[in-house]
Amino acid sequence: MRRRLHRSAPLAAVLAGALLLSACGAGGRSDDGDGGDEGGGGGATAPGVTEDSITIGAHFPLTGVAAPGYNEIPTGAKAYFDYVNAQGGVNGRQIEYLVRDDGYNPTNTSSVTNELVLEEEIFAMVGGLGTPTHSAVVDFLNDEGVPDFFVSSGSLQWGDDPENAPYTFGWQPDYEIEGKIIGQYVAENMPDAKVGLFLQDDDFGDDAEKGVRQFLDEQIVAAERYTSGNTDVGPQIAGLQAAGADLVLAFNTPSYTALSQLVALKLGYQPQWFYSNVGSDADLVGSLLSRFSEGAVEGGSGSLDGVMTTEYIPGVDQPDDPWVQLWQKVWDEHGEKGELTNYRVYGMSHAYAFVQALLAAGEDLTRDGLVEAMEEVGADLDGPQLAPFRYSADSHLGISGLRVVEIRDGAGEDLTPVLVTDIGDAEIAEDDSGQDGDAPPESGVPEAP
Amino acid sequence: MQQLLNTALGGLTLGMVYAAFALALVLIWRSTRIVNFAQAPMAMVTTFVALVVVDAGHSYWLAFAAALVSGLLLGAVVERLVVRPVEGGPEINAVILTLGLFIVLHALAAVVFGNRYRSFPAPFGVRGLEVGGTTIALTGFGVFTVLAVLVTMGLLLALFRYTDVGLRMRASAFNPEVARLLGVRVGRMLTLGWALASLVGSLAGLLIAGGSLVHPAYMDSVVVYGFVAAVLGGLDSPIGAVVGGLLLGVALSFVSGYVGSQLVALAALVILMLVLTLRPGGLFAQAAARRV
Repeated sequence: MRRRLHRSAPLAAVLAGALLLSACGAGGRSDDGDGGDEGGGGGATAPGVTEDSITIGAHFPLTGVAAPGYNEIPTGAKAYFDYVNAQGGVNGRQIEYLVRDDGYNPTNTSSVTNELVLEEEIFAMVGGLGTPTHSAVVDFLNDEGVPDFFVSSGSLQWGDDPENAPYTFGWQPDYEIEGKIIGQYVAENMPDAKVGLFLQDDDFGDDAEKGVRQFLDEQIVAAERYTSGNTDVGPQIAGLQAAGADLVLAFNTPSYTALSQLVALKLGYQPQWFYSNVGSDADLVGSLLSRFSEGAVEGGSGSLDGVMTTEYIPGVDQPDDPWVQLWQKVWDEHGEKGELTNYRVYGMSHAYAFVQALLAAGEDLTRDGLVEAMEEVGADLDGPQLAPFRYSADSHLGISGLRVVEIRDGAGEDLTPVLVTDIGDAEIAEDDSGQDGDAPPESGVPEAP
Repeated sequence: MQQLLNTALGGLTLGMVYAAFALALVLIWRSTRIVNFAQAPMAMVTTFVALVVVDAGHSYWLAFAAALVSGLLLGAVVERLVVRPVEGGPEINAVILTLGLFIVLHALAAVVFGNRYRSFPAPFGVRGLEVGGTTIALTGFGVFTVLAVLVTMGLLLALFRYTDVGLRMRASAFNPEVARLLGVRVGRMLTLGWALASLVGSLAGLLIAGGSLVHPAYMDSVVVYGFVAAVLGGLDSPIGAVVGGLLLGVALSFVSGYVGSQLVALAALVILMLVLTLRPGGLFAQAAARRV
């Protein structure tokens, strides 16, 4: 009997320990500081704005599962802000850019956002990354009246209801329009394909599925969902294989592109893969797969050859593009060590848009003024994006379109022109705005729109 | 049919890794009577040691050996430097200490090895085997995993059942004072127990890493599932650990494939609760053994 009792004590400890472990990531803070203001004061008295500086913040996963690739985005944004600062800043103000690590854990996002808003008194949040993470702070930011610009995620919730979140703006094309454009492309060009969906089990997969099903409902033979964090996707890929899917439309993060490719090898499954923009960075996936060479997987940037994907800003595979040349110059002058990557280009691209937004808001910078300026002129911003933004008083959704490409030797080959659309029933049309062919100004710093 | 088979095979290989991890826990439990929460990060550190060796251009097997040896040393060092000072106090002290170690090792690994995802090579190829024209979800490395864990289990059983050292280790764990009176060098036995357990943990780490991606937190889910497997098997029995690991691996694979991958962690906890409620001693508790 004594032994029995003796034994159950460590078992209880096991349970207690497991609970403790799961709580470890939660290190929440409960600061009750009242640094937030009532939606922006007047003139240069707005929080985070002084005569000669503007303080802005962002949350990114610098560590953990989602960090590869994504942790490079803020380094790109910082390089561009430094570049602008070196040319005198925005209306004489230097941009101070504070980045906090949330490890892609919503609890951490809340605590670092509290810290940024209440302690550091940032003027605006710029480019905060992730659907589950940013969802945790979007209400707080809007309640405090903090401009929440260019969320690094394609979820609809950043822009489809500006009344609910008046200070929040999306940036990249939302997953629904990406799903729509992919869906229409497949319906028109591959009408006999048996389509399998490989979806991240959250807004990302849900929004995309909504878009895809508008055009492909009857061609879809299976929809499998994986939970981010669970790296065993074997059962999901086996499900797609069993359903006989010969074209897989995958809406997943880059690590899962590598994992799905590995599992497909294991299963001897060879469908045509179509990864959405998020999961298709050939360099990153190639570096993840490079070790499994032995002829089984081709490492390096060639690893995704033949895979289809989409594109909405020019990337490092287009070194002749004037925007990429600007980013290269910025990175050479102000970047950290390491190469220019597509993630850094992404960071610079939204930093460029934010500098334009600041210029549009004028010298008397206020939080509400910034939001108003964005609703007025946001749709006319220039920049690297291939299609214009959709910003207006009724929509805070970002870039309106993209094009379908096939990866060859690590670079995208166009399969369609730039196609633009909007959520819901909006038609898909060829873009005629000319956004695709523009070039940055000589100085590399935007002018007030 | 093929999906059923592939889901089961996937669960089998994964279950074997849980089994290896559970074996390490059982080993520490049998030889020191505490549960080591730092097992996973210790294994993770040794996997990164292997990665460093591979990066330096050496062969996979040299890296494999380096990881196992560093596992052995790490286990011994941890026991001597960290666990020894709290020995003799309540067992919970040592358990809490291993939790602390969990966090410290994690942070250190992130600093030393970086936080990126990195791919880890596998020696036998990552393509599925071909059987009668169809590919089944069992790679050469998967076969190696199964064999390695079975051999390890056999060795541990033999160690505890047939060798003097094994008997001494168990004696030191059950009753250090009596063991000491009988001439057993209890301190050495505890160190040996930790070293061996850490070695088996390293093996689990290498097996789960092979042909997949690693980062400092890659073993974290294995901690939970490994514990459930060990508890399922009764914490005291190497065979129980392996059977527990297999059952859990296959069960979770089916939950993921046929119910939904978001329920995997929940299913593991439900299994844990059921076992603790219905058979707190685990499936292979002494009472069950007597009935057979």
